[in-house]
Amino acid sequence: MPVTRKKTLAAVAALSATALILTGCSADGGSSDDNVLRIAMGSPGEAQIRVWDDVAAQYEAANPDVTVEMNYQDDDLYQTIGLPNLLNGRNAPDIYFEWAGARLEQRAADGFAADLTEAVTSGPIAGLFDDEVFTSLTVDGAVVMVPHSADVTNVLWYNEDIFADAGLTPPTTWAELLDTCDALNAEGIIPISSGNKDLWAAGNWLAHLTSRVVGEDVYSSALAGETDFNTPEWIEAFGYVEELADHNCVNESVNAVDDNEGAQLFFQGKAAMHAIGSWLVSWAIDEAPDLNFDYVNLPAMPGEGNQESVIGVVTGYVVNAKSTKQDEAAEFLALLNSDENVQQFIGAELTPMTLSAASGEDIDSRTASLTSLLETAPAIVLPPDNGYDLETANALYAALAEVLGGQSSPADAVAGIDQKLG
Amino acid sequence: MKPNRTVTPYLFLVPAMAVFGFAVLFPVIMTFAYSFTEWNGYGAMVFVGIDNYVKAAQDVLFRDSFVHVLIYIAITIVLEVIVGLVLAGLVSVRRRGSLWFRVAIFTPVMLPMVVVAVLWAFVYNNDFGLLNAALQTLGLEDLQRVWLGDTSTALIAVSVVSGWVYAGFYMTIFYAAFNQVPTEVIEAARLDGAGEWQLFRRIKVPMIRNAITVALLLCITGGFQGFDLFYVMTNGGPYGATEIPTTYLVKSVFSFQNVGYGSAMAVVLTVVVVGLGLIFTRVNREKPEEVRS
Repeated sequence: MPVTRKKTLAAVAALSATALILTGCSADGGSSDDNVLRIAMGSPGEAQIRVWDDVAAQYEAANPDVTVEMNYQDDDLYQTIGLPNLLNGRNAPDIYFEWAGARLEQRAADGFAADLTEAVTSGPIAGLFDDEVFTSLTVDGAVVMVPHSADVTNVLWYNEDIFADAGLTPPTTWAELLDTCDALNAEGIIPISSGNKDLWAAGNWLAHLTSRVVGEDVYSSALAGETDFNTPEWIEAFGYVEELADHNCVNESVNAVDDNEGAQLFFQGKAAMHAIGSWLVSWAIDEAPDLNFDYVNLPAMPGEGNQESVIGVVTGYVVNAKSTKQDEAAEFLALLNSDENVQQFIGAELTPMTLSAASGEDIDSRTASLTSLLETAPAIVLPPDNGYDLETANALYAALAEVLGGQSSPADAVAGIDQKLG
Repeated sequence: MKPNRTVTPYLFLVPAMAVFGFAVLFPVIMTFAYSFTEWNGYGAMVFVGIDNYVKAAQDVLFRDSFVHVLIYIAITIVLEVIVGLVLAGLVSVRRRGSLWFRVAIFTPVMLPMVVVAVLWAFVYNNDFGLLNAALQTLGLEDLQRVWLGDTSTALIAVSVVSGWVYAGFYMTIFYAAFNQVPTEVIEAARLDGAGEWQLFRRIKVPMIRNAITVALLLCITGGFQGFDLFYVMTNGGPYGATEIPTTYLVKSVFSFQNVGYGSAMAVVLTVVVVGLGLIFTRVNREKPEEVRS
């Protein structure tokens, strides 16, 4: 065969491979009409997986005709490729994990979120939650998600021993934070570790910082695509990120390592602080049981926003509108949130949002404090990648990473966001 | 019964054509069709004409991704094909004991690419990595870098890993080709006083020209198909410095759910690869005639 022809065929095959991936998305998704209740989520960690498996076993014992099939995926995979592929597959999940906000609204618009209003008002889930929690989980008048936990997606964790040894106190203002960075650098300790290779880790933290400067309304409207980023307020906000870089507040490798590697610097005592969400508690207890750590909310910034705002998001479980087992799914979610199972989750360092969780006695003090922080927050800021369009969030994160890495000036970075988003 | 000579041959082709149609033609046609739509993969599909192609032409990141992949290919041609050629030359000089070296050099090819990527990400790690630790031990602190976090080193660092893996693959191809060179030619050259270097440069390499051409073609097309190393080691960063068309396309389709735009990029990528392939083969076909003239 002539080489040209071979090459052409090879190229066609290459396109086909791509096309196969793409067409994989095109099938009409649907739940199987069998006796398997399928549940999909990002991996919640070993401790919580044990609880989930136990709840599945309880359900199977009570319903001998039904098998519960759990599908735990890598978090990043689930958030991007994983869930859309599952929803469009032949054996789509009957129940799946989701974040409240733009993603949940999109699922509802695409016909993948069942109306659970009846289930939560008079059905099996009724009375398990405070009615107010359903406000952010309602789309077009229908409750479409059962909440599971409210995650504070970013606070500043600090190593109590390092701070005590250096005679430092956790920073509560911007000036204090910069002074703390300088003091820790002088001691040869990385002030704040972050693993931002995938852009969301520092992106989430710095987005919160910018919201404090530009104000929650400006933050929200820019991320919703209603206003531009290239404004004096945003340039000023990015200026504070530049100050962080100037004071060497973060590890030099910040944009080269992932969130796990960033956390390891904190766990191993190489960094005094770590900017990440509430899930660090169970993670740290697992990987660095001797670590003495606590948190402070993001220090107050000079700016227009509410300086006590908290960045966080409600996560929970959606019943697939295409499932033929919606009643079974609602019953499973009720079982999941029973008093007994809520206590199991608390033992696994997750505090469910049920009314009964408040009476739990074994909640880690930091987890309880974070729950309280979110519940009493005067303003809640939604994380860009959960609450808004992912492409916009990514453009903001990439710009923040460029300034944090000393690659762009604040003015160029914010101009770049608008340029990228067209 | 006597088979119908007109119909029977085509009947034999039916299974292969069915598989080809299902696995190749249908996806190609569908990708081309999707490229004219705005679609998130499962919602309503909206026809947008050539908007996605216009967007791709104006997309600086997409254009830059081609620059990055061309640099990557240029580096890997050196680190994979040329180094592979030299290694094959070295192991073919002495047959005794060469098996051990060939196996050792070929071993990385057998490792899953994701494992290689994770392994090397640790080697390059600024805080815990082997490379910076070795440089420190040797007193070469000035050479320490955030290898995967520095725009001037990230692309080279990933290319080096690709070279580490595939140099052994090309060595094997060239080694097999060297073994096909007639021993009479080698012996004649030796009688004329040629040393090992002259044998390699003036006899062996020119006589395996076809194998080198195939290797270059594989390296170029393989470069455009590169994905896993980049996805795991840098995910296109830092600041887009290692974004290549495949990683950008996958992000567009799966992270941002722009299936239509991703399809348009896939079509553009295919056209570019096919175009380069055609040019490459045309140039190589013309060379013998130039020599004769």
